[in-house]
Amino acid sequence: MLAQQIVNGITLGSTYALIAIGYTLVLGVLNKLNIAHGELFMVGAFTGIAVARMGAPLAVSLLAAFVLAGLMAVVIERTCFYPLRNASFLSPMLSTIAFGILLQNLATQFFGSDPSRFPDTGASFQLSLGTLSVSAIHIAILATAFGLMIGIDLLVRRTRWGIALRATSDDPETAAQQGMHPSRVTMTTFFVSGALAGVAGMLTTLVYSQVTPHIGIRQGLIGMVAMVIGGLGNLRGAMIGGLAIGLVETMNDAYFSAGYRDLVIFSIFFAFLIFKPEGLFPAHRSS
Amino acid sequence: MNRNGRTIISLIGVLALAFAADVCAQKPSGSEVRIGVVVPVTGQAADVGKREAIGAQAAADVINARGGVGGVPIKLYFADEGTNPQEAIGAVRKVAGDDKVLAIVGPHYSGTAEATFPLGNRLKIVQVAVASSKPGVAKANRPYAFRNTLTEDKIGEAVVKAAKQRYGLKRVAIISDTKDAVARSLGMGVLPAALQVNGIEIITGKDPVTFQNGDAQFTAQVTRLKSLNPDGIALGALGPDALNIILEARKQGMTQPFFGTAPLMEGNLPERGGKAVNGTFAGSVWDSTLDDPASSAFKAAYAARAKTMYPGAFTQNPDYYATNAYDAVFMMVEAMLKTGVQNRADSLEADRDRIKDYFSKLRNFKGVASTGFNDDGDGVKNVIVTEARDGRWRPVASR
Repeated sequence: MLAQQIVNGITLGSTYALIAIGYTLVLGVLNKLNIAHGELFMVGAFTGIAVARMGAPLAVSLLAAFVLAGLMAVVIERTCFYPLRNASFLSPMLSTIAFGILLQNLATQFFGSDPSRFPDTGASFQLSLGTLSVSAIHIAILATAFGLMIGIDLLVRRTRWGIALRATSDDPETAAQQGMHPSRVTMTTFFVSGALAGVAGMLTTLVYSQVTPHIGIRQGLIGMVAMVIGGLGNLRGAMIGGLAIGLVETMNDAYFSAGYRDLVIFSIFFAFLIFKPEGLFPAHRSS
Repeated sequence: MNRNGRTIISLIGVLALAFAADVCAQKPSGSEVRIGVVVPVTGQAADVGKREAIGAQAAADVINARGGVGGVPIKLYFADEGTNPQEAIGAVRKVAGDDKVLAIVGPHYSGTAEATFPLGNRLKIVQVAVASSKPGVAKANRPYAFRNTLTEDKIGEAVVKAAKQRYGLKRVAIISDTKDAVARSLGMGVLPAALQVNGIEIITGKDPVTFQNGDAQFTAQVTRLKSLNPDGIALGALGPDALNIILEARKQGMTQPFFGTAPLMEGNLPERGGKAVNGTFAGSVWDSTLDDPASSAFKAAYAARAKTMYPGAFTQNPDYYATNAYDAVFMMVEAMLKTGVQNRADSLEADRDRIKDYFSKLRNFKGVASTGFNDDGDGVKNVIVTEARDGRWRPVASR
């Protein structure tokens, strides 16, 4: 059973990792926090549900979640960050709190506050490796999540966008002089961060039994914890942090008591803040 | 007879007449008799709360069709419990204080009742909870707290016995909520006791597998249950969580049967779960397939009212929670007529106490599924064991 629980933990953790990566991308570029990031997860989840209810296949729902959450992130950037770029440090973050609440209420209006379920995909094949049992959904989640993580890693290290991203975050003025538009780099980064959260939301709805409009609150918080534990600003750290928390949560629920779940996770969080605030992989601000 | 004698006799005569008049004036005065209904129409228990509301209103409809309470029509004053204690307290305050009702049908859950019963004692108004079944809740809140439900221990024993007969259970694992009051008491207290009484080994011992009410996923818990290889699984859970647990179990390839008690029967588990939940056992005190005269009258009244009040797929068919509310209204009306409730603004406190006193001694009420209350304030009823089959709960034929 331990092996199975590890698979469960990594599956859960990979969704947390996607959220944490999204936070980190924005933190790295702007040195600011998008507190509505958890709601982008929720937007992705409900987009996936809505599209699937119209009869679309899984891949289309995933794509829709990716695109819509990404676009919503750009909207957040344009409304909460760009107009306030010269204001105090706090103002954009407060704006994102308000925006997050707005999104929660919109979702409640359209989907109701009762839990919503992803329509039955009918796909239910199980892969058995000894005592291990991995369902088609689990494989899809792990493949998508790890694919995205590796993709982001490559993008940031090897492509021009990645170079522009790191340059802009290190030194916006010089980067601008070199012909990289900070504004465009910022918007693209937000899109990617939101799209990742949206995909995480959609994948989560597949494996979870249900989602509600307020699911973003906890997911966002866990993503932040994963980011801090992994190392603020470090993309790979965010991935490891997310996977670690997924494992902790699963082991707690399996072997300990569900009532202590969040207590355990946040105790670990506080321990890090006190003893190792730079996280497992202290970062230079880019990746 | 001398003048004094005649005066005395006249005086006695007048007093006797006045006394007789007072006793004969058992009919309430006023333009309406008010009863409060505090059930959840939003939140997790919204569907079952709506059914309870319809049940209460159906009772009022029947009573008003017969001319009301001694000629005075009944009006129900509704307030939403919201499936949470804070809102429930506000709702009780509103119907008791603003609407000045004579008694309250509600609240729903044990969790909310534990909060509103003490308030009811302070306000000196009877509450008749319609779904609370955690043992001891009414007992701890005498004298104004009543529950027209059967406590879970009695239902638990009957369900476990029937499940053992059907499935030959020898080793059972328990999965329990740690958050909701009644689900937790089921998983940690009622079900272990019922299993022991029936001689079944509890594989999880004193530490059941746990989850929190409302959790979005149960992968870790179900994996652990699967590894224990039980003959069956006891659910200390409310219906919506039980549904998710069973669905996840089937996804992970488990075929064992699940069972629980009354809380399993809300959340429309058979309708939502389909084939995956067939064979799940639960227990209650009434079933909609019963066709004795009282049940038939209730079903007709309910169906009529459900057309216009909260119409919808999940409120069309009454469940036993609705009968608890229906019977509670009739009990209150019987109390009012038999104790001479006056229904005047200045008799509010006395009227409320009259109802309370009547309920304390009510032992042979003739309801759809209620016979009255015991010394602890809990309901006295028969148990019907049910199983989920083909989209509905159906009574299990006893051998």
